[in-house]
Amino acid sequence: MKRLVPTAEMTLGPFFPPEFAEGANDLTRLDGRQVPGELIEVTGRVVQLDGRPLDNLVLEIWQADAQGRYDNPAFFGWGRAATDAQGVYYFKTVRPGAIQGRAPHINFLLLYSGLMRQLHTVMYFDDADDAVLKSVAAPERLVAKREDAHRYRFDIRLRGEGETPFFED
Amino acid sequence: MDYVIHPRDPRTQSEGVVAGYAQTAQRWPAQPPARRAPGVSELTGPRGLERRLAPVRGDLAGYGDKRAIGQLIHIRARIVDEDGAPVPGALVEIWHCNAAGKYIHPNDDNDAPADPNFYGAARMVADGAGLIELRTIKPAAYPVPGTGGWWRPPHVHFSVWGRVWLSRLVTQMFFPGEPLNEHDAILNAVRDPEARQRCIARLVPEENLLAYDYQLVVRGAGAAPGMP
Repeated sequence: MKRLVPTAEMTLGPFFPPEFAEGANDLTRLDGRQVPGELIEVTGRVVQLDGRPLDNLVLEIWQADAQGRYDNPAFFGWGRAATDAQGVYYFKTVRPGAIQGRAPHINFLLLYSGLMRQLHTVMYFDDADDAVLKSVAAPERLVAKREDAHRYRFDIRLRGEGETPFFED
Repeated sequence: MDYVIHPRDPRTQSEGVVAGYAQTAQRWPAQPPARRAPGVSELTGPRGLERRLAPVRGDLAGYGDKRAIGQLIHIRARIVDEDGAPVPGALVEIWHCNAAGKYIHPNDDNDAPADPNFYGAARMVADGAGLIELRTIKPAAYPVPGTGGWWRPPHVHFSVWGRVWLSRLVTQMFFPGEPLNEHDAILNAVRDPEARQRCIARLVPEENLLAYDYQLVVRGAGAAPGMP
């Protein structure tokens, strides 16, 4: 059977509906109940080549639960946030566990005007022994900075000096 | 056979810095992307996404004195994977401007009137055959500020989830017979003419409605993945 060609991706554009960007950045509650695990905040700023912060950029995340599982019915490992006018995004979630030889990590997907397709990157909690982390040229840029006991900062630079590593897939 | 995500084909997918689209030079990474072999973290994905993103508005056209201005159309979109297998229960987000070329978004400063009866955003769940049908009005073309004459052809934005994290698809649907299609920097960044043509919906006039059929192919082939 002939395989179909995936539809060409195109830019999100500048007018992603504001209501779609709201209400999905808290992974710590599901169906009115608190999910198990260590509650953390993940925040950061997204900038472009000239350093300007990007407004209304959409970030989606996918992560394992606190035990490193993707199929826990009591945890929903997907979330979405949009940046504000200062380029800042914010997620509430739980610290994921390690899974099948991978260090704890959160997958990030970015969508924005001026990006012809989605960009993929990964956030780590420390400089871990992880094959995906070791495969990039500047792994330290994928390690979040711990701001306090439960708050991590993961800044993203799309292009230019200090550019965040992204993945081909 | 496991579910497989094949690498993107640069002829049928666009990326990078695009001539005539200035923001791409500020935003597309300059460094070559790293390669990795997808594993369980990338080959799983959210199921039942409507638990996080509730469906809203399966009809953007309205009725009677709440009817939006513009040509009434139906958009029938089918979500399939690379095997042509439908993706039942796929979440689909759709947004587009009104019949004057104005979006509901506060950042849209085009000098075109809003329509109080048109709110251009819908979120729907595909049925068992991977189909959604949206009743709406046809969007208009509009100018892109600061580009010296780039007018976007009428188009509809789609955001779709496939079976796994790497199957995410965000794209735009175009209308057949629009002269501006030939000049659009976004549509024409897709180099392969057939892939470009597939981004244009097919007009299927019926007795009482003007329908556009469209197919969205999300990445992934092989047996639908089970959870680990």
